[in-house]
Amino acid sequence: MTVPLWYYLVLSGLIFLIGLVGVLVRRNIIIILLSIELMLNATNINFVAFSSYLGNLAGQVFVFFALTVAAAEVAVGLAIIIALYRHRSSINVDEFRLLKW
Amino acid sequence: MTFDLVLSGSDLLLLAPEIFLTVWLCVVLAIDFSIKNLDHENIAYLSVGGVIATLLNLLWFDYLGVTGTLFHDMFVLDRLAIFFKIFVLLSTVLVILSSIDYVKSFRFFRGEYYFLVMMSALGMMFMASAHDLLSVFVTLEFSTFGFYVLVAYLRDDVKSNEAGLKFFILGVFAAGLLAYGVSLVYGETGTLVFSEMAHTPGSYGLAIGFLMIFAALGFKIGAVPFHSWIPDTYHGAPTPVTAFLSIAPKGAAMAILIRMFYVALAAFKPTWVLLFVVASILSMTYGNIVAIAQKNIKRLLAYSGIAQIGNVLIGLAAGTKRGSDAILFYLLTYLFANLGAFAVVIGVGNLIKSDEIEDYNGLNRRSPFLAAAMLIFLLSLAGVPPLAGFIGKLYIFVAAIDQELYTLLAVGLINIIISMYYYLVVVKKMYINEPVDPSPIRVSIPIKTVIYVGLAGTLILGIYPRPFIEWVVAATLMFSNVTDMVAAALPHGSGG
Repeated sequence: MTVPLWYYLVLSGLIFLIGLVGVLVRRNIIIILLSIELMLNATNINFVAFSSYLGNLAGQVFVFFALTVAAAEVAVGLAIIIALYRHRSSINVDEFRLLKW
Repeated sequence: MTFDLVLSGSDLLLLAPEIFLTVWLCVVLAIDFSIKNLDHENIAYLSVGGVIATLLNLLWFDYLGVTGTLFHDMFVLDRLAIFFKIFVLLSTVLVILSSIDYVKSFRFFRGEYYFLVMMSALGMMFMASAHDLLSVFVTLEFSTFGFYVLVAYLRDDVKSNEAGLKFFILGVFAAGLLAYGVSLVYGETGTLVFSEMAHTPGSYGLAIGFLMIFAALGFKIGAVPFHSWIPDTYHGAPTPVTAFLSIAPKGAAMAILIRMFYVALAAFKPTWVLLFVVASILSMTYGNIVAIAQKNIKRLLAYSGIAQIGNVLIGLAAGTKRGSDAILFYLLTYLFANLGAFAVVIGVGNLIKSDEIEDYNGLNRRSPFLAAAMLIFLLSLAGVPPLAGFIGKLYIFVAAIDQELYTLLAVGLINIIISMYYYLVVVKKMYINEPVDPSPIRVSIPIKTVIYVGLAGTLILGIYPRPFIEWVVAATLMFSNVTDMVAAALPHGSGG
């Protein structure tokens, strides 16, 4: 018995929404970064599910690139957060109001 | 299922500009690391040399008419791609030249700055060639990573860090939307290549997917309602980076938008035209009205940029071959006027360490050259004849009239009048108000060069636009049948 496609789509849709809401609602930058990771990983579930459903490898290739891009993103993001933390000793986005948000 | 990858020497020739720039920027980085006490100015000129060589290579390709595709249609080199690559490289040269004085104020990492600028430029060159949703995703992120670092480059300046953080969070958020949108489109069509999508039937998954991709590209070009990062990021970033950010990524993202909507989605034109009409009206009106209240020249130029993108989107709303010609020409006029204006801002900012519009009081007394240059650039941005901006706006409006988009035309014309107001406020401050500190401002040679190039471009495109119009018409020749494709998709309808 195989798991039908729409199970995967509902799962990835839910994870994507959790990530989306997390970015919009949470105030801690690390949590925001994690929420964005959730969004990207929901994408990966989608791609793998579609790829196996369509019998087409392009989707799985995309996943490799998406993983690489996500890893690079975290590296740059954490560097920026550390630079900010040195000045402010805080990682709450509400503290960063020097420029009009 | 197998993938075969056959590459011959003549295929790699299509990648020659990118390969050359990659090698060159590695060499520049290696030189910067290995030679101690090397003045960063030499690194800058070395970088400029490499970028200009790449530029000449592309001009030669354009002259020869070299075209082709690589890697299963993922990378395409046609005249549209060549146009946008030249566009990106031209702005890179001007940005590097205008950075030289600014970089002196960095305490560390002077050489790496040029490396990152060229790296972003390389990413944008690939964006111009993206013909596949995978390459759109990867190249978009590639070029943006360089910008994340560049925006936060002033490590000791809290403003720059904060701008970097805001840009980063919203940029990565847009990347998440883009990736999810691509996955939905892939699920509906079973392919990632634009040209293979052209004949898929419409569905909700496709519509939601492309809306997400549109939102992500909207972030890149800074169209309302995806503009929220623009003013803060422009304000906090080092000024040369702001200048780069205000022109090159917009051009490269426009290349992707044109390709995606004209090739993959030609059949759904009646639907997406509405999207661009709304985005264009919102961008023009919002950008111009909020610009009036700005006190900082970088924020003023940020909002004016949002409004200018609104004008560019009129071309996509027209959705015709002439619309795409007009976009290319408009971007060219915007490049010269915008980078010229930023060069003046950098020149003034280096000396008085301020970007407040108040500090431009009496600029004419302090430096008649800078004031006159700024006057010409601002008038071109506003669209005053006989400058480049006038021809650009005219061309865009003609494309709109062709498609009978009279509402858009009316909004565009009203917005020209609004924009005239805040540009002229700056002009008034420069020419009529008294300076607080009348000491003259000296302009360095690299910045003078950028300003002269900007002036030359603005005047030549305004007075003798013909060769450039011929160039952009030739660059979009492949879209001459876009209206026929719509008509074919709607046999009974009134498509177009």
